[in-house]
Amino acid sequence: MNKELIRLKVNGEVHEVAVPPHKLLLDVLREDLGLTGAKRGCDDSSCGCCAVLVDSVAILSCVAIASCYQDAEIVTVEGIAPPGTLDPVQEGYALAGGAQCGYCTPGFLICTKALLARHPHPTLEEIRVALSSNLCRCTGYMQIYESVQLAIERAQAREAAKPAPVGR
Amino acid sequence: MTMPACRVARPKTVEEAVRILADSGPEAMIIAGGTDVVPNLQMKLFTPRVLVDIKPIRALAGITMVAGGALRIGALNTLTEIVDSPLVQSNYPVLVSAVATIAGPLQRNMGTLGGNLCLETRCLWYNQSYFWRKALGGCLKKEGDVCHVAPGGARCWAVWSGDSAPALLTLDAEMEIAGPRGSRRLPLAKFYRNDGIYRVALGRDEMVTAVFLPARTVGRRGLYHKLRIRDSIDYPLAGVAVALEVDRNGVCREARVAVTAVNPAPLLVNEASEWLVGQKYSPELVERVAQAAIRTGKPLTTSASTPVYRRDMLRVFTRRALEEAWKNGRD
Repeated sequence: MNKELIRLKVNGEVHEVAVPPHKLLLDVLREDLGLTGAKRGCDDSSCGCCAVLVDSVAILSCVAIASCYQDAEIVTVEGIAPPGTLDPVQEGYALAGGAQCGYCTPGFLICTKALLARHPHPTLEEIRVALSSNLCRCTGYMQIYESVQLAIERAQAREAAKPAPVGR
Repeated sequence: MTMPACRVARPKTVEEAVRILADSGPEAMIIAGGTDVVPNLQMKLFTPRVLVDIKPIRALAGITMVAGGALRIGALNTLTEIVDSPLVQSNYPVLVSAVATIAGPLQRNMGTLGGNLCLETRCLWYNQSYFWRKALGGCLKKEGDVCHVAPGGARCWAVWSGDSAPALLTLDAEMEIAGPRGSRRLPLAKFYRNDGIYRVALGRDEMVTAVFLPARTVGRRGLYHKLRIRDSIDYPLAGVAVALEVDRNGVCREARVAVTAVNPAPLLVNEASEWLVGQKYSPELVERVAQAAIRTGKPLTTSASTPVYRRDMLRVFTRRALEEAWKNGRD
């Protein structure tokens, strides 16, 4: 199959890659762009390890054809915070034991990021529903829910610590 | 698993998409969200030469009130958009109840209403890798000539595993279908053919463009119950949708009951309307309708759960859903 030149905007950067037109977004991210954060878990759209944000909506990159997402803003787990820094979501997972083997973690981080962007103060039930596409075989999920709650606190603390806007 | 090599066409209009479908014949396949199509492609259940990506067609998305008070939902609206739509929430609760159970939030963010209404039928013997299927000589639906579910027959029993279709059946929904000769409307009940292989009445050169919910079914109280192994993500093993109109004296004025995941099509329980209309709630009446639901559903060994259990849950769900809808119906 002839390759096709496609243009993807990932983590704020535009990449041009030559790939077969049917190549999956997950494979382009991992193999062509070297972004190995998103993982292949189940390979049939039921585990959530491959989640990425497309225009702020979390989707499964293992059932997305890369060439169909050329107009979108794609964010992978590598792009949720500037290099060398951690997003409050990442801090929450690190401090509350939300990751054990770590394989499912990028998917959870992406879904948590999408949830908090829409609802900064979700209830426990809303957290459970938002993360119900993601499977974790290590933690038993309790630490993950605690991680999200800690992430909310840390995001609030950061917000409060910001200097007041000039002119007030 | 790997994707079969194919080209991707990107039409900008419905007319262009239909032309590509007509020109390519059986070699073309529509893709929108990809949550059903891509895993099936990877299992080599289909090997199209061209995938027609309809996502860029803007006219295919939008939830709008149209003339006469009907609601039009575009084929490309995602399942998340439907659950979140205030117009759907306030007018058609049974649809929200059903769509909210489809897979998980990630799949609902991608999957579209059109895709959910045109799902591929599912079976233990069909949704397997090429290697697995080949080892058993295939089945009636793919690569073989015998149905392992009902070996004596010449019929494919792969089940309809959609959740939105039964809810839409209880709302008397209509499909809008585009083809080379223009657009046509078809009642949803006539869209499904109850055949595991030829599952929907859709030509190879046609595509679903929208769903219409009539004004007369606005406000029907309803809900959907679903049996599955993992409550967060799985396909239904049995499902029941119920929609009722109940007057202020508690008398049923209109009723629909539909079952899914137990036949090759989602089906209305025909006796339900006849028996319920004009009646007040009673456990005996509801039990009678539940027995009719069992007669409509014919679960076979197409999934990991047993037909006996799925049949029994059909009865429980029908009884429960009717009781709950009736109580909600009393103002």
